[in-house]
Amino acid sequence: MLLPAINPLNADELVFKGLKQGLTLFIPEKGPFQHWLAVLDQRLDEAKTFFQGGAILVELGERKLAPGELAGLRRILAKYRMRIKDFNPLGKKKLNPRPKERPLLPSGALLVKGTVRSGQRLENEGDIVVKGDLNPGGEIVATGDIIVLGALRGVAHAGAGGNMQAEIIAFTLAPVQLRIAHIFSRAPEERKGRLGPEVAYIKGEKIVVERL
Amino acid sequence: MAGRVVVVTSGKGGVGKTTTVANLGTGLALRHKKVVMIDADIGLRNLDVVMGLENRIIYDLVDVAEKTCRSINKALIKDKRLSNLFLLPAAQTRNKDAVTPEQMIEIVEALKDEFDYILIDCPAGIERGFDNAVAAATEAIVVTTPEVSAVRDADRIIGLLQEKELYEPTLILNRLRPDMVRKGDMMDVDDINDILAIKLLGIVPDDEEIIISTNKGEPAVLNNHSKAGEAFRNIVRRIEGEEVPFMSMGGEPGLFGRFLKMMHGK
Repeated sequence: MLLPAINPLNADELVFKGLKQGLTLFIPEKGPFQHWLAVLDQRLDEAKTFFQGGAILVELGERKLAPGELAGLRRILAKYRMRIKDFNPLGKKKLNPRPKERPLLPSGALLVKGTVRSGQRLENEGDIVVKGDLNPGGEIVATGDIIVLGALRGVAHAGAGGNMQAEIIAFTLAPVQLRIAHIFSRAPEERKGRLGPEVAYIKGEKIVVERL
Repeated sequence: MAGRVVVVTSGKGGVGKTTTVANLGTGLALRHKKVVMIDADIGLRNLDVVMGLENRIIYDLVDVAEKTCRSINKALIKDKRLSNLFLLPAAQTRNKDAVTPEQMIEIVEALKDEFDYILIDCPAGIERGFDNAVAAATEAIVVTTPEVSAVRDADRIIGLLQEKELYEPTLILNRLRPDMVRKGDMMDVDDINDILAIKLLGIVPDDEEIIISTNKGEPAVLNNHSKAGEAFRNIVRRIEGEEVPFMSMGGEPGLFGRFLKMMHGK
């Protein structure tokens, strides 16, 4: 490969970032695409447990892909149970550092009547509302928000697939584990007292919990 | 009128399903109900031992399912104390696959008209044995102990029962130790209700008498001095539709205890 020495293809330039639109893979415009695919493959392999599959966005900038290149990208992502939701979320205005606001895809909410018990798992493309509790050992996975009109004591995963704006709301938030997009958090070992309705969302790279 | 078919289940093993069946069966029979207990725990049968009827077994549940014995009545063992109480024992040398849910339904249907109550002792676990035990039931009682693991499994079982259209199982909280609850070392009724949120049928205190009576093959419900026996008698009355207040778990907190409770704001 003949490349300018002053511009080595630094593997760190290939990054995953959480945008408002969702988890986005940034593939640098420079350099042969095959090189970046190899970097991606290695990166995903190292972080197998971190990327748990789902749909992601891919930002290519000005780069145009040949059909073969696109297939190659899809193949590597598929290997890690990921798929491409959309391309170039930043749009053409590369000078504008703010990601373009885009309305979230309209999607149906799943209304669950009663308690989600241990061993039960609910999934929905969209939001999930539970009129009851989510018990320890139970799991709820939504690509949108999760609202529990009761006690949330199990595992809730909002924004599955990469929506970093997703929120988890519960009348009593006492989860085993919370996940929003690709970020995980465990409840503190000992949480004293019932604090009333709370909301969990992503701030920076962490999940924070606030009173509603 | 067709009898009530009640499965007693728990998910977790060792929480007292078999003891509960033996006591409820005996308790109902003491009230002059005609009762049959079916041990669905094929391969690990215990109910016969707890009832002290082990040495009377000739035919078992698998024989009935496979129609090895000519009639179902041949396999029913009459209790040695109460003439209106019967046991259909499990097979010990087979496994859970020896009977299908369809066969269970068939067996229960054959017994339904003759008995007021059919109590089914469900094995631990959520596989075939559970499917068998639950298949014919129209009511379910979930037994748990005040331990996080048992409550977790009970919660799982309640979900599975609902999938089998047993929407309103009731709960027996077994082996509660009031002294430990008072000290805050054991989950109390409210903690458990908070999670399981089903109707509480009764609370059975931890009682050494139970171990003695189990080993003797004599259900505690027959013993007027046993606290656990009293709890089971109350549960029987509730099953029969009576309103029975929950018994005090003995030794109300003293002045100091009440003071502590006040301090903790409970």
